[in-house]
Amino acid sequence: MLSESARVTTAQEAAYRIQYPNSKRRAAKIIALDKTSAKIVDEVSRLPWNGASFFTSLSFSAKGSPGAEGGEALQAWLNDLAGHALNLVAEVASSDFVVVITAAGEDARAVSIIADACKLHNKTLVGLVVPRDGASEDAVSESLNHLRPYTRMLVVASGVDYVEAMLMALRA
Amino acid sequence: MLKKEQNDYVTQTGPGTPMGELFRCYWIPALLSEELPENDCPPVRVKLLSERLLAFRDSEGRLGLIDEFCAHRGVSLWFGRNEDCGLRCPYHGWKFDVTGQCVEVPSEPAESGYAKKIKLKSYPLIEKGGVLWTYMGDPAKQPAEPEFEFCTVPLNQTFSSKRLQENNWLQAMEGGIDSSHVSWLHRGDLSSDPLFKGAAGNKYNMADLAPVFEVVENDGGLLIGARRNAEDDQYYWRITPWVMPTYTGVPPRGDHPIHGHFWIPIDDHNCWAWSYDYHPTRPLTDGEVQAMRDGKGIHVKYVPGTYIPLANKTNDYLMNREAQKAGRTYSGIEGIGMQDASLQESMGPICDRTKENLVGTDNGVIMARHRLMRAAKALAEKGVIPPGVNPEHHKVRQAALLLKRDVHFKEGAKEALIAKKGVRQTSV
Ligand code: FES
Ligand SMILES: [Fe+2]
Repeated sequence: MLSESARVTTAQEAAYRIQYPNSKRRAAKIIALDKTSAKIVDEVSRLPWNGASFFTSLSFSAKGSPGAEGGEALQAWLNDLAGHALNLVAEVASSDFVVVITAAGEDARAVSIIADACKLHNKTLVGLVVPRDGASEDAVSESLNHLRPYTRMLVVASGVDYVEAMLMALRA
Repeated sequence: MLKKEQNDYVTQTGPGTPMGELFRCYWIPALLSEELPENDCPPVRVKLLSERLLAFRDSEGRLGLIDEFCAHRGVSLWFGRNEDCGLRCPYHGWKFDVTGQCVEVPSEPAESGYAKKIKLKSYPLIEKGGVLWTYMGDPAKQPAEPEFEFCTVPLNQTFSSKRLQENNWLQAMEGGIDSSHVSWLHRGDLSSDPLFKGAAGNKYNMADLAPVFEVVENDGGLLIGARRNAEDDQYYWRITPWVMPTYTGVPPRGDHPIHGHFWIPIDDHNCWAWSYDYHPTRPLTDGEVQAMRDGKGIHVKYVPGTYIPLANKTNDYLMNREAQKAGRTYSGIEGIGMQDASLQESMGPICDRTKENLVGTDNGVIMARHRLMRAAKALAEKGVIPPGVNPEHHKVRQAALLLKRDVHFKEGAKEALIAKKGVRQTSV
């Protein structure tokens, strides 16, 4: 008698895996932290996606700035490609996970504000550092340092092709 | 997830497939030296990358890997007589040397030169570090020999084993770079396995079950860093190198020998899981070698006389629900190697990646697939030699170390990640 494991691991049995969907659409929010990565986000956003939203910049209400101790609640806005400004906290609240992208050596401090919103709503934050022409290893290190305290997964990506591949892999 | 076409692309390694061509750029482990222990020993059937081959060691110790089937009427040369510097087919006596050249056709006069016109396909086979390696690509592009540290240290410092794994190579290899499963599947073994226990670093693993990951590219492939909190404003980093297409290193623990794997396709539904274990600066102790032979650490116990794991799918991997419930093993399967293999075989012969739901912490796996597909494409379209062919790319070492929190691990561990002769591994 064939054991159960031997029988069910054949190619023939693989054909009987049931073909019902095993997941629902997830809302990914992809946020560029600087101008260079904004270009990448802009480019990637033009592909067909499953409900991912793309933002090319953040802006803040007059009351505060990134990293500042906000006495009053700091209001932050995400700007999408169509020119809409959407409330950061509300966007994060309605997301399933958040991806931030920064180009090596650019100012990535805005990540702390996004991380606060993720923490508030218990969302995973993934960080991508993309190369920039002529950026040194030090620039990469600096970007990683900005993102490290906040991200569950931090990746030095090879470029725009990886951003695309990763988002597809995550069904964004 | 991958699209169906992508999944086919990255899992198929037979002749003429893009990934098959990629694999044929590298020296790959073919057999253990112990499988051809002496001159004129019995030949061994070997299937690699969906090609059926035969390995033998001739009367003068020359190694050959040739087409398994006799050029006369197709008999398997496994039945052959290994004698007088060649393998003779027992059917009608045709004889072949280690290069596959036919050297005798008894029915034809020697002067006729008939034998010279007959040659079986053959691949080079070299011995290094207790492993017989082959290169199955274009002879004009044969690269320099492999320089992985485990195969360049003295033989008494290194031990390799292999086991049959009945699923596609990629889902097995992905397990090797998926550091996030270690805190779950293997959690029972850290404190009990003789080849792991007692390392100072183990306490960080136990204290922090939710490591945070960083993935960066390296010359030959990837570096995957898993960090956990440690004292004094430091992180405890465990760094796994992946060298394309299929070499991985498990970060070390204490002064235990360091180890890792290759997953070599047999065909698209089976692979050899190779496991190496070595110490860069000292001989392995008798106790360590015995533990490895007994199937501890990443090695397995065999069905006697085979490289088939004793716990395998025909006996439900000796599933022990009681040990599972008690937490002695997390999955109920004993031994790290079979914990991995049992689950990977359960995915089916080729994992259907169109149905998976990856998360952010799977980025190591995502990037490895991406690099494999990118390299196979560049090779097919522009003839670009892929990463990991250059032996310099092999000289990378896994590491476990403490670093200040603001240090990029690739920079902070720069020295630790280089395999240097006579220098001990960096380990906690
Ligand atoms: S939890 Fe990862 S495969 Fe099931
Ligand atoms: Fe494992």
